[in-house]
Amino acid sequence: MTKGAKRRGGLWAAQRRFILGVSIPTLLYIGGLSLFPLVWALVLMFFDYSPQRVGGPFLGLGGNNPFVGLNHFREMLVGTSMEAQLFRVSLKNTLIFAFAVLPLNLAITLPLAALIESVHDQIKALFRAIYFLPVVTSSVGVALMWGYLYHPQQGLLNAIIRGLGGTPVAWLSDPRATFLGVSVAMWAVIAAYLWQDYGYNLVIFIAALQGIPKEFKEAAMIDGANAWQVFTRVTIPLLRPTLLFVCVMTMLSSFSVFDIIQVMTNGAPNHQTRLLVLDIYENAFRYQNMGWAAATSLVLVMVVMAVTLIQMRLLRTEWEY
Amino acid sequence: MNRRVLTLLLSGLLILGMAGCRPSTGASPEAGAVTLRLWVHQNPTFEAGYQALIDAYHQAHPNVTITMETFDYSTYIQTLQTAMPAGEEADIVQMFGTWVCGYAGRLAPAPADVMTVEQAQQLYYAAPIGGYICDDTLYGLPQEFNIEYGGVLVNRAMYEAAGLTYPPQWETMDDVLRDAQALVQRDAAGVMTVAGFDFISTDPTAFSFLAGILQRGGDYWNADHTGFTFNTPEARETLEWMLSTVTEWQVVDPVLFNDTTNWVGTAFFSGQAAIAYIGPWAVSMGLTDYPDFGEFGYFVLPHVGDEPIFVADSGWGLSVSPNSEHQDIAWDFVRFAAAEPANALQWNITSSTIPAIPENAESAELAQALPWITEELSQLPYGRYLGTMPDRDQVMYQIIYPHILNVLQQVETVDQALAAIDAEANATFR
Repeated sequence: MTKGAKRRGGLWAAQRRFILGVSIPTLLYIGGLSLFPLVWALVLMFFDYSPQRVGGPFLGLGGNNPFVGLNHFREMLVGTSMEAQLFRVSLKNTLIFAFAVLPLNLAITLPLAALIESVHDQIKALFRAIYFLPVVTSSVGVALMWGYLYHPQQGLLNAIIRGLGGTPVAWLSDPRATFLGVSVAMWAVIAAYLWQDYGYNLVIFIAALQGIPKEFKEAAMIDGANAWQVFTRVTIPLLRPTLLFVCVMTMLSSFSVFDIIQVMTNGAPNHQTRLLVLDIYENAFRYQNMGWAAATSLVLVMVVMAVTLIQMRLLRTEWEY
Repeated sequence: MNRRVLTLLLSGLLILGMAGCRPSTGASPEAGAVTLRLWVHQNPTFEAGYQALIDAYHQAHPNVTITMETFDYSTYIQTLQTAMPAGEEADIVQMFGTWVCGYAGRLAPAPADVMTVEQAQQLYYAAPIGGYICDDTLYGLPQEFNIEYGGVLVNRAMYEAAGLTYPPQWETMDDVLRDAQALVQRDAAGVMTVAGFDFISTDPTAFSFLAGILQRGGDYWNADHTGFTFNTPEARETLEWMLSTVTEWQVVDPVLFNDTTNWVGTAFFSGQAAIAYIGPWAVSMGLTDYPDFGEFGYFVLPHVGDEPIFVADSGWGLSVSPNSEHQDIAWDFVRFAAAEPANALQWNITSSTIPAIPENAESAELAQALPWITEELSQLPYGRYLGTMPDRDQVMYQIIYPHILNVLQQVETVDQALAAIDAEANATFR
């Protein structure tokens, strides 16, 4: 045996080379494309930084890109600048969007999953495939299709409304139209987003329902429970771990929605559908206001983290079946 | 050191040495083979114009190959903003004149043998050359007079169907609005299906607002151009007039006709707008998308006040990267494309744009090729440069237009909008 092949730390030299060979590219990839941008964003949020301006000698920081400390965060809270006002509007819209999408999504997917679960296995697969199709459809395509449906003059929805003798609605462009205190445009994009997204949760719920032992339901029925009682008192409690996962994932995707909004409304009318990710995108890549966009990104991360922790606290389970 | 390492080291040195033997940056168009990159934003007619210029230049200088790389408009802005600080832009970049001073530190000044500031001011109209001169230094050459003010497309069939005289005979804006009222069409539910006069789009709305201020005797710049003055009686009068077109004249529905819902160019060429306020550059785009569109005319709107004073962007043109290894050839191409009148005119005709060179604007060849443009020519001497703003697109598209749209959609009052425009536009000076 050669000198280099000596065993060290429980590993042979060849094993160490293999481990280094496969892990170094991965670490470089993660470091370069995730860690570095993350650290850079953490630095930028304390600067009024724009790559358009020629800043100081070190990474363009300083000089025309001055250090501003926590000014961005102070401005977000109490500032009167256009960026600050749009940030607050976007944050409010994002919360409305996320907290509307989650219950609506659950209200559609959970009963639908229970219905599909109750049909024959062969038909079940067909339904699953049909409902999952929008999930794998391009968001831009979905946005364009819904845009046509909502078209004020030629859209299908208004054609139906006209046919029924009603007054057509400018679904995506009327800033004065509201429903339950939320703009109609926001409800319209929520509907489009739900249509695209609900298949994902549906498949998860179907899988979870299949995992619940039949004995639990049978025992409840022997004790005299009807179908509704079995669903609400046996099935749903046993779905709690799945519910937690679905709630967290739905919230995460709702907070980060971008493409469907940008194509359908681009934040219009009157910023009523402007969500935080769109706000960050506009500031960062349209107006090169990178420092502000980085600070906004941190706020979004904090909001998402807080909502996720609350969900985990409320829906946690300490049992298995 | 073993033999393999030594071989690798020597090979590396050899490659480095060869890299150092590239042609010098002082190569002339007649020197060895040279390849330059040209960046432009995507617009089929503009691209066709550039390709013709590239082919003509290659014919004159067979050793020079210019490759055109295109980006859609918003991607182009982002690409410029990120590539320039990194020094990775193309040798020649298409610039919108009004942006140029914002990038001046990252663009190559024009060499005196290409053109001096004085020569440029003599060759071009004031508005288009204005944006290319920053601190008395020339940073590129304009190719077009980017006029967004005052011109409208008129649908002849709709005019005749409404029993109106064609071509229109307008003396005042009231004449325009009277025609527009007769041209409005609604469906059984009362929804506007054809706008009589559609002016609600970013550029037409913003530029007619600025022209309205000037023609009423006001100004949106303070005395030394260090801030904006939007909250003025002249601005209020202009905005109130715009609102009256919606509330009193009812010639356009701002909810159904705006930049997001139904862009004015598309609305006109798809038969949803009878009179559409837009720059002449939209004509060739519209005819490309709607080749079977019937007869139309391009007419100039009456002005308010004594003279049709208006402001214009310093339009599209070409600049050179200071990082180009062949700046001299790049500048030679820019001069060939934008300063040789015959070439510049061909580009204008292909792209359906108004020439930046007066001699070309007044040429019979242009009048024959683009008859609708001739209507605009009488206005050109009244055009002023918009002025160098900290962020022109933000001021025009994120501040002025959205607030005016809010007023027209009646979710903001005139006073609220003017106060907001004034405060937000001035906040861009930071």
